[in-house]
Amino acid sequence: MSNLRVAVDIGGTFTDICILEEGSGDLRIAKVPSSADPIDAALEGLVNAEVDLADVTLFAHGTTVATNALIERKLPHTAMVTTAGFRDVIEIGRSTKEDLWDAYRDNPPPYIRRRDRLTIRERTSAAGVVEVAVDAAEARALAGKLRKRGYQAVAICFMNSFANAANELALKAILEEALPGVAISTSAEVLPEIFEHDRFSTAVVNAVLQPVVGAYAKRMQERLAAGGYRNDLLLLHSGGGVMTPRTVDRQAARLASSGIAAGAIANRYIGKLCGYENAIGFDMGGTSTDVSLVWEGESTLTRDWHIEYGHPICFPSIDIKTIGAGGGSIAWIDEAGGLRNGPHSAGSIPGPACYGRGGELPTNTDANLVLGRLGGNLVGGGLELDAARARTAIETHIARPLGMDVESAAKAIIKVANANMADAVRLVSIMRGLDPRDFALVAFGGAGALHAAAMARDLAVPTVIVPPHPGVTSALGCLLVDIRHDLLATCLLDAATADPAYIESEFARLEAEARERLHHEGVHDADIVLTRSIDMRYSGQWRSLAVPAAIPFADVGTAIRAFEEAHQREYNYVREGAGVEIFRLNLSAVGLTPKAALKRHAPIDVVPEPRARRGVVFDEGGLDTAIYWREDLPAGARIEGPAVLQQFDSTTLVPPGASASVDPWLNLVITV
Amino acid sequence: MDKPITAASALDPVTFEVLRNAFVNIVDQMAEQVRRTCYSFVVYNRDFSNALCDAAGNTVAQGNQDLAAHVGTLHYTCKAVIEEFGDDIHEGDVFLVNDPYIGGTHFSDTRVLLPIFCDGELIAWSQANGHWADMGGSVPGSFDVTARDMFKEGIRIPPVRIWRRGEYCGDVARLIAKNTRDPEAIIGDMDAQTQATRIAARELLRLCDKYGKDTITTAFAEVQDYVERAVRLRLAELPDGSWETVDFVDQDPAGEEGLIPVRVRLTIRGDSAEFDLTGSHGTIGSMYNCAFGGTFAAIVSGMKTFFPDVPLNAGLYRAVSVIAPENSIVDARWPVAVSGFVMCFEKIMNAIFELFSRVMPERAMACAFNIEYLQTGGYDARGDGRPYFMLYDWLAGGWGGRNGRDGLGVTASCFGVGLMIQPVEGQERLCPVRTDKLEIVTDSAGPGEFRGGVGLDKAGTILDVDNCVFSYFCDRERAIVWGIEGGLPARPHGLWLERPGEAARFLGAVFSDVPVTSGARFWRGTSGGGGYGDPLQRDPRRVLEDVVDDYVSLERARRDYGVVLEVVDADLAEYAVDEAATRAERAAIAAHRHAWLEEDAEAVAARYRAGELDMYDVIRRHGVICDWGSGELLANSTREFRAQMRARCVPHWQ
Repeated sequence: MSNLRVAVDIGGTFTDICILEEGSGDLRIAKVPSSADPIDAALEGLVNAEVDLADVTLFAHGTTVATNALIERKLPHTAMVTTAGFRDVIEIGRSTKEDLWDAYRDNPPPYIRRRDRLTIRERTSAAGVVEVAVDAAEARALAGKLRKRGYQAVAICFMNSFANAANELALKAILEEALPGVAISTSAEVLPEIFEHDRFSTAVVNAVLQPVVGAYAKRMQERLAAGGYRNDLLLLHSGGGVMTPRTVDRQAARLASSGIAAGAIANRYIGKLCGYENAIGFDMGGTSTDVSLVWEGESTLTRDWHIEYGHPICFPSIDIKTIGAGGGSIAWIDEAGGLRNGPHSAGSIPGPACYGRGGELPTNTDANLVLGRLGGNLVGGGLELDAARARTAIETHIARPLGMDVESAAKAIIKVANANMADAVRLVSIMRGLDPRDFALVAFGGAGALHAAAMARDLAVPTVIVPPHPGVTSALGCLLVDIRHDLLATCLLDAATADPAYIESEFARLEAEARERLHHEGVHDADIVLTRSIDMRYSGQWRSLAVPAAIPFADVGTAIRAFEEAHQREYNYVREGAGVEIFRLNLSAVGLTPKAALKRHAPIDVVPEPRARRGVVFDEGGLDTAIYWREDLPAGARIEGPAVLQQFDSTTLVPPGASASVDPWLNLVITV
Repeated sequence: MDKPITAASALDPVTFEVLRNAFVNIVDQMAEQVRRTCYSFVVYNRDFSNALCDAAGNTVAQGNQDLAAHVGTLHYTCKAVIEEFGDDIHEGDVFLVNDPYIGGTHFSDTRVLLPIFCDGELIAWSQANGHWADMGGSVPGSFDVTARDMFKEGIRIPPVRIWRRGEYCGDVARLIAKNTRDPEAIIGDMDAQTQATRIAARELLRLCDKYGKDTITTAFAEVQDYVERAVRLRLAELPDGSWETVDFVDQDPAGEEGLIPVRVRLTIRGDSAEFDLTGSHGTIGSMYNCAFGGTFAAIVSGMKTFFPDVPLNAGLYRAVSVIAPENSIVDARWPVAVSGFVMCFEKIMNAIFELFSRVMPERAMACAFNIEYLQTGGYDARGDGRPYFMLYDWLAGGWGGRNGRDGLGVTASCFGVGLMIQPVEGQERLCPVRTDKLEIVTDSAGPGEFRGGVGLDKAGTILDVDNCVFSYFCDRERAIVWGIEGGLPARPHGLWLERPGEAARFLGAVFSDVPVTSGARFWRGTSGGGGYGDPLQRDPRRVLEDVVDDYVSLERARRDYGVVLEVVDADLAEYAVDEAATRAERAAIAAHRHAWLEEDAEAVAARYRAGELDMYDVIRRHGVICDWGSGELLANSTREFRAQMRARCVPHWQ
């Protein structure tokens, strides 16, 4: 048996497993229902797929454990200790609401309630001078109170600690001694960055997640080891890299979007495989769609994200926009007679009307079924669809009120869904001044390939790529990443007078820490790639731009010129003669993991025979349409639309006028 | 659904829905562009709005993130440009306007308008409005509370052209920019806004290309019809009738002591709503007057709060009529000062909250805290160079208690919920002011069966400065945030200043140019929201939970709610309700509270001055308004405030 690489993507409904054979590049997939303890399903799936853990050289994992713990608020009893006078930073936030107009829609409350937020006298100035030191007696009294209340985790969050963390660390030392076994996060260690709300919020998320994901990672590592796996479990984090259970304690908050990042990574990988440096990832599932963007070979990153509104997690993270549109989104008519689609979803229970589980409202899945775009079953026959129920739902709720026939109503439902999703993609891409004609649309998720061609036409994107296993593409993403840490140092300096030697020494400090972390994770020096950048801004402005920084850093002038060029490009202007400030030093530290290549198949020029034909309704009307099994199609196969490609985990629609071919990695490339 | 549906006529439902969303999407793209490329931090913190208007200037779509105070004014501005220039509008033109007397809000809100042509025909306008950081006038930031006319406030820009057939009119732009304190930032924001209007044009022309020009212009009309239909259906479901109320601005600095009424009568007749502001006070001797644009914005925003899912466009305006008496505080004419229009704006909005609370009790809401804005300016003497600094600071506060739910705590004001507060660490770095406290205030929420949301206190110390002054723009130091359905008021706004070696002084909620020196300490707070329902009906367990979180103190649990708690373990924040004592306390309050409200006001003020009564008792039990520093009774204000408590509280007390 040759060496295997395994990736497991545990979602709410299904656990997807990707198994890659290192020698041949063969890829196998498995899909099992998720279990109460998510680890059970992962191991069961491996047993079903006849994988011996002793053969596994790399086990990577994207998990929703942290995300779900935050959403469901199943969090350990956690305290926050903060500067006297600043007890409510995480409750005040930036004072805005997600829904500006609905006064009956509240923001989610903070992860730590006011009763669990304690204060202590201490103060550091903006310049980093300790004005009031932590009093040891007061700290010990506080520790006694914390112990009595039985907290499992504590977040220490002090004002201006980004400039000098001495007070936070002093309290941490006292609490660690007094509260053995309690997980303690300090804001400056988690995210040494100016702006108290961003830093405190990130530290609080880290504190509440630390016991949750720490225990989870440990348990999973132990069960894998018991099965014979000898290496570190690799956990996917929001920045698009992986980390090992040994770093989880310090960076638990980075796992908050572990499960979502995988799709974006797969998007990048598949786009590159097909020769596209620019790709829009379109991952459409049952209740929502994740859109990600790759520009010039890199996933776009953001520091502005959250699991719940008002509680930012400010680590650099792959920028993913989630839209409330999926196969299960419900079509409805509003009181003024407008045809609407979503954001309410039938979910998996009761599900679309055609599932026959009690759902009566029409969804996108029902409309696709009525139009013949979906066949009579899903999940390789595991789920029979009831077309009569779908027709009834559409007839009752859409067709009759609008005075249309059922097929027209179904077409209308899909068109509205596609237009909504195209608008959302437009906001994340074209908005940035990027031309869609330079992109490919990579479509995956259970429903992505059904809608992708129409979306691409609307967006003027010329090419759609559907990977070989659209339903488990996210899991594939887990296999393709390197160990990555993002370190930063807030460093507020007037660029005109900044001492390059000091900046170099700060970078050197970050690099030493990065190497130590990567060594700790077993990465050799030869596999370490360090990339520096500096965030700069005009003095008095809040918005900063990152520019590359040289190794060694010897000349501030070059950085200023790079900043001005970037400002002109990004914001259309340069402020002649205005002061420029150095704001933050960033270091991305990557530990390269050896990549295994997917198997390349020799293309054969063939126009395959369809398995069947049926009537499918397109924009042009009902057409006799060829139905293919995706697994029948070898590399090199060519297909002309209209056609429907069915497979275990997804269905692809090739509309009339479009053509498709299968590439050597078995991706379907559709020219729309 | 058994409601009658009158679907859009000329367009098929798909095209209609796609275009309806596409128009909003265009405005969202404009907003992204403005935020990305703007110059000033005021705009960056979201003090801007955008719109797409049809050829006649009617608003087709506004952004969902727009500030309330701009809503419902952008079509007036567009129509004003059309009226001014008539046939003289050409492809490649760009217009600028900030005139509050023709439907704008105040001089700071400056709008850039681009006419959009398709095949030589004017089919639409895109409009980007931004709050410019300075418009000239007598003070930096252009808010002079002593201004009685516009000549102290800033430069008035009637509709002018800043681009003519694709050529930039640099002379006009410079004339405007050089009348402000920061010409570079003004030009920068103007460019950012212009760019946003061009993005809208590009996107709209893409749609024209795909669907045809006629389909687009038809859709403009139909999305307005659609919103009008939706609003009228909602209104038709509500009972017919007429409801009225009054809210107040604190004072007319040029007149005698007494609250300044803003009256609103709502009449729902069939499927339309009329707002009649007759009886509102004449214009006052400060900048707290409102021209008609701001008044209309308040009415539309108040409505939108109760129909939050109805999209914003001119269709909504058609279902609404407004009567505002000429030359009143809600319809100020040139050249009356209006830069503080938001004070009237918020009073109208809160009055509408109260009126709709009666019509739609399921969405009822008491009064919210008042917007406040502290401006500190001077020379930073911390290091060499002594640069001039300006610290503009605003806070969040509490919104009113709701039917079945406590109010929203520490939220931006109803002026615009999208306006973000700033990080303290950023302020401390840029300005020589240290913040000593920014925290939720125990007992700041108006008591009620469902209490208001909580407010904040912010305290600071002036570090090394030269020639430093404070100006403060706020209100509701006297017309204190009120409750409904028996709920109680919250607490007064106002700022305290303690100069080195002097006793603390209460400066109130509105003043300008007060000198401050290094070492001075100051603090001010925001009110919580007003209470909803009789506080004696609040579930004692909820009061207990509030005490555990220090939202309510043990003392006020007893005095406001009649709930007596015993401390089980202070370390664990464990309390228990003393059921018997609570019953007795509640009975005693119920027996006395009518009389408290009638007690001699001067005697109450005297007890406050003597330290026998605390401020919360003076306000919540006795309805008495004082100068909160000196304790001097404000007799006229008290009379009006008590009349309101008798109307809003007493009938609901069992």
